Amino acid sequence: MNGTVVVTGAARGIGRSIAEKMASTGPLTVIGVDVAPELALSESITPVQVDLTSADGPHVVKEAVESSGAPLVGLVNNAGITRDARLVNMADEDFAAVLEVNLGAAFRLTTVLAPLMSDGGAIVNIASRAYLGNFGQFNYSMSKGGVVGMTRAMALSLAPHVRVNAVAPGLISSEMSMAIPEDIREKMVESIPLERMGTPEEIANTVWWLLTPLSSYITGEVIVVGGGRSLS
Amino acid sequence: MSGLVHWPEDVGDDWAAVLDEVTRAFEVTRSSAQNEGSIVYVVRQDDLLGRRGAGNAMVACGLLSAARTAALEGARKGWTANVLAFDEVADRAMVEEWARRLLDDGAVTGELIRVGSGHIGKTLA
Repeated sequence: MNGTVVVTGAARGIGRSIAEKMASTGPLTVIGVDVAPELALSESITPVQVDLTSADGPHVVKEAVESSGAPLVGLVNNAGITRDARLVNMADEDFAAVLEVNLGAAFRLTTVLAPLMSDGGAIVNIASRAYLGNFGQFNYSMSKGGVVGMTRAMALSLAPHVRVNAVAPGLISSEMSMAIPEDIREKMVESIPLERMGTPEEIANTVWWLLTPLSSYITGEVIVVGGGRSLS
Repeated sequence: MSGLVHWPEDVGDDWAAVLDEVTRAFEVTRSSAQNEGSIVYVVRQDDLLGRRGAGNAMVACGLLSAARTAALEGARKGWTANVLAFDEVADRAMVEEWARRLLDDGAVTGELIRVGSGHIGKTLA
C-alpha cells in the first residue's frame, strides 16, 4: 500500500491504535482526525483537529488529504460516543448526539472523500457488536446498525473501484469500556468465550487487513471481533 | 391489536432526512415503551441490503438494531419489538397481517421476519 489513509477518532483507544498500526506498516501518509485537543500522535501521523459534525468538518479533512500529495487509499470511520440510558428514560439530546457523531459524521465524511479515493482503495467503518442489540443503548445500537446499512449501500455504489466493509468490535479495553461499572464489566467478560476483553490492537489488525489487498475479494461485509460473545 | 406498527418514510442520501426519520422512530418507540406497548417496524428487504441507497439503508438497518435493543428492554416488561421486511412480491395486506400476528402473539421478540422470498441466498442482516 502506498498513499494516504484517514482515521477518525484517532486521539485515543481503537482509533489511535488503528492510526499507529497503519503508520507502522507501510509507506503511508496517515491523517489522524479527532475533535479532542490531545491529538498528539506519533510523528508519522498528521493530526487534524476538527469537529466532524460541523458543516465544514468533512471539507477540512478533504483539504488535508489534498495537501498530502498522495492518493487516498484508505478511510477508517471510527469516531464514536455513547450516551447510555434505558429507552423509556432516553433524552432527545442524547439520542441526537450519538446519531450525529456515530452515523452522521461517518456518512458525511465518506460522501465528501469517496470521490478522492483511488481505484483499489478501501473504506472500513467501525460498527459495534451492539448492532446486534445491547441493553440501555437504543441510540448507540441504532447508530451502529445504521453504519452497517451505510457499509452495504456504499459497497454496492462504490464497487468495483473501492471496497467498503465494517468491523464490529465487542468489549474492548478502552476508555469507552472503562466507563462501564466494574461489576457489570466483569459479568460481561464472564460471558465471553475467550474469557477476556479484546485489545485495540486486535481491532487495528483486522482493520489493517481489510484495508490491504490481502482482503481484495471482500466487500459489504461485517466482521465481528468479539471473542465469541455473540454466541454465548 | 395492542401496539404500534411503524412504517418509515423513504429518504434520499441526505443526512438531515435520515436523522429526521430515525428520530421519528425513536420518539414513537420511546412513547410506546413508556406505555408498555409492543412495536413492529416495517422495512424493505432491499434496504437491509443497501440496494436503494445509503439513506434508506441507514434507516432500515438502524431500525433492525433498534428493535433488537428495544426487545431486550421490553422482555422485562412484557412488550415486544420486531422488524418485518417485505420484498416486491409482498403486498401491504400481507405485511399488515404479519404485523398483527406479531403484536397479538407476544412470544416473538427481537426478530426479523421476512415476508416474501427475496431474501433467500442473501446476507442474514
